[in-house]
Amino acid sequence: MATAAINIHGVSKVYNPGSPQAVQALDTVSLTIHDNEFFTLLGPSGCGKTTLLRLIAGFEQVTGGEILLFEEGIENLEPSQRPVNTVFQHYALFPHMTVAQNVAYGLERLKKPKDEIRLTVDRVLSLVKLTELANRRPSQMSGGQQQRVALARALAPSPKVLLLDEPLSALDLKLRQAMREELKQLQKETGITFVFVTHDQEEALAMSDRIAVMSNGEVQQIGSPTEIYEHPVNRFVADFIGDTNFIDGEIISVKDDLVSCRISANTVFEAEDSGNHKPGDQVTLFLRPEKITLTSDAQIVNGESHAGKVTNIIYLGNQALLSVDLGNDIELTAQTRPREDGNLPFAVGDSLLVEFSKRALRVLAK
Amino acid sequence: MSDQLTRPSSKRKILPVGHYRGLGLWNAAFLIFLYMPIAVLIFYSFNDNRMVMIWSGFSIDWYIKAFNNVAIQDAVLNSLIVAFFATVISTAIATIGALVLARGGNFRGKTMSLGLITLPLMVPEIVTAVAMLIFFAAIGINWGLGNVIIAHVTFCIPFAFMPIRARLEGMDTSMEQASRDLYASEWETFRYITVPLLMPGIIAGAMLAFVISMDDFIITLMVSGAGSTTLPVYIYSMIRRGLTPEINAVSTLLLLFSITIVTAYWIVSNKTRTETVH
Ligand SMILES: Nc1ncnc2c1ncn2[C@@H]1O[C@H](COP(=O)(O)OP(=O)(O)OP(=O)(O)O)[C@@H](O)[C@H]1O
Ligand SMILES: [Mg+2]
Repeated sequence: MATAAINIHGVSKVYNPGSPQAVQALDTVSLTIHDNEFFTLLGPSGCGKTTLLRLIAGFEQVTGGEILLFEEGIENLEPSQRPVNTVFQHYALFPHMTVAQNVAYGLERLKKPKDEIRLTVDRVLSLVKLTELANRRPSQMSGGQQQRVALARALAPSPKVLLLDEPLSALDLKLRQAMREELKQLQKETGITFVFVTHDQEEALAMSDRIAVMSNGEVQQIGSPTEIYEHPVNRFVADFIGDTNFIDGEIISVKDDLVSCRISANTVFEAEDSGNHKPGDQVTLFLRPEKITLTSDAQIVNGESHAGKVTNIIYLGNQALLSVDLGNDIELTAQTRPREDGNLPFAVGDSLLVEFSKRALRVLAK
Repeated sequence: MSDQLTRPSSKRKILPVGHYRGLGLWNAAFLIFLYMPIAVLIFYSFNDNRMVMIWSGFSIDWYIKAFNNVAIQDAVLNSLIVAFFATVISTAIATIGALVLARGGNFRGKTMSLGLITLPLMVPEIVTAVAMLIFFAAIGINWGLGNVIIAHVTFCIPFAFMPIRARLEGMDTSMEQASRDLYASEWETFRYITVPLLMPGIIAGAMLAFVISMDDFIITLMVSGAGSTTLPVYIYSMIRRGLTPEINAVSTLLLLFSITIVTAYWIVSNKTRTETVH
């Protein structure tokens, strides 16, 4: 197994403990971040992502639990004594220094020799493609350039772990997508462990080796992007990552990892279950819109299919989301692509057949 | 304070009163009302005549006379010494105070301390003056110019405090945290990050304190003994001995000096605003 860069053992954090404004920001969070890993903390606003980063960086003290950095306790280390650097959400560049001075700052505080500092600054600036702007002030740069300076400044002292707090959130879509790849590339080249915070699920899926999904100060699930997307452990995770159909029902029979589930008086769906449910259990099934195949009435279809009617269409350019009414109060969101001529294969009011594999329909653990 | 006053009401739509006739005239009348006395003062400082109000020709003799007047030289020197020390000491105290109030977390009496620091701005000056006089008499301090400096330090603190605090308010702690994150000790962070970022506020505060100290009359009059006369106090005593254009000349020079410093203050605080810390 890979060595652990950061071990977080049952960490809790309460702000203003004992006062009426006490806030439980983290509740017994445990997770392990491996060395050389691109690890992402994903969750909605206020779920405690920044708090966890600040605990690792040393700007806050844990209320309970323990954080180990490369197997060693860091409780008594000042932020300046931890081999960890942060890329702050709003960059926090030093406005009275040039780009080069900003990048050199950490190395100077570490009392590195002058020649070495100059070489490192040159190298890091060329890494983030800012060599030409070395003598500019941060205020004379665009958001994307400032973001790179923040990155360069945090990389220059070669930290063992880099903490990145929503570093892309201030950028426009195009730049954000470009920076995603650059960051991922940079992480591979440097081999530094990245702990990346975001509330953008797409960003998390695109960049991470592993993701921890958080909500309300608790970790909901830890896993690879595929695991999180395909096998969410609960409704929160399934809902937070991507579009999802939720279908409530009651299990009527179980066979190996397949269950039959009554959805309404005369509808029964078969679904995959990894949660050892028993007949009689009330469960929620989930189904991703892209796993649904739609065929128009006239065609002959194999396997189990359900007749439905299009009630609404959301056009998104490269795809469209259709609301399909299956009767019996069941409505599903399905995905379809425009045809080559750009028109959608269906219109509101059309009748069609809905098909999905029983392996695509899954029972949520909780 | 003057920060807010000079700031143009940025994007708010201005009432279209510009087309009312006579508005320009009102404006001119208002400016004349404001500046006429000063213009007259400056004008007669170039009067050749001994009697201020009787014009008999242009000359700069009164300026030469003022420059050669030993008593004026002493008064100017006293004023500069007092203003220098009052500025340095009050700015240092104000800086520390602002840092404690802005960065010291929440401590008991924080709001009250803030109020108490700025309260002297609202206390009538004559009250402060009398209080100072009685205070020095009561504790028996009689250090001549030292008394004046102590008095000036006290009333300069709130003036120095305001721009420094304003600057600190606009500075979040993230820059200091970034510095700590980049292996800087607390002292290095203070030296390389906090102080440089705060500097425009400190300079603005110091200039304000300097001008206020140079201009002060009432409190100085009360606490200054023989030998510690400052320029405003000396000008007052000259008037009592009779008006000559020499007073105009000295006053004009004092005015020029104040304008220079206020302009510098304005430039510094303006520059601060354009390169705001974010
Ligand atoms: N200094 C503080 N004092 C008191 N409460 C705080 C403090 N910092 C954060 N909190 C609270 O702790 C909770 C978690 O905050 P945190 O900043 O970690 O959220 P986050 O996941 O980073 O959110 P976002 O995505 O909006 O940045 C929030 O409820 C927040 O209000
Ligand atoms: Mg945050």
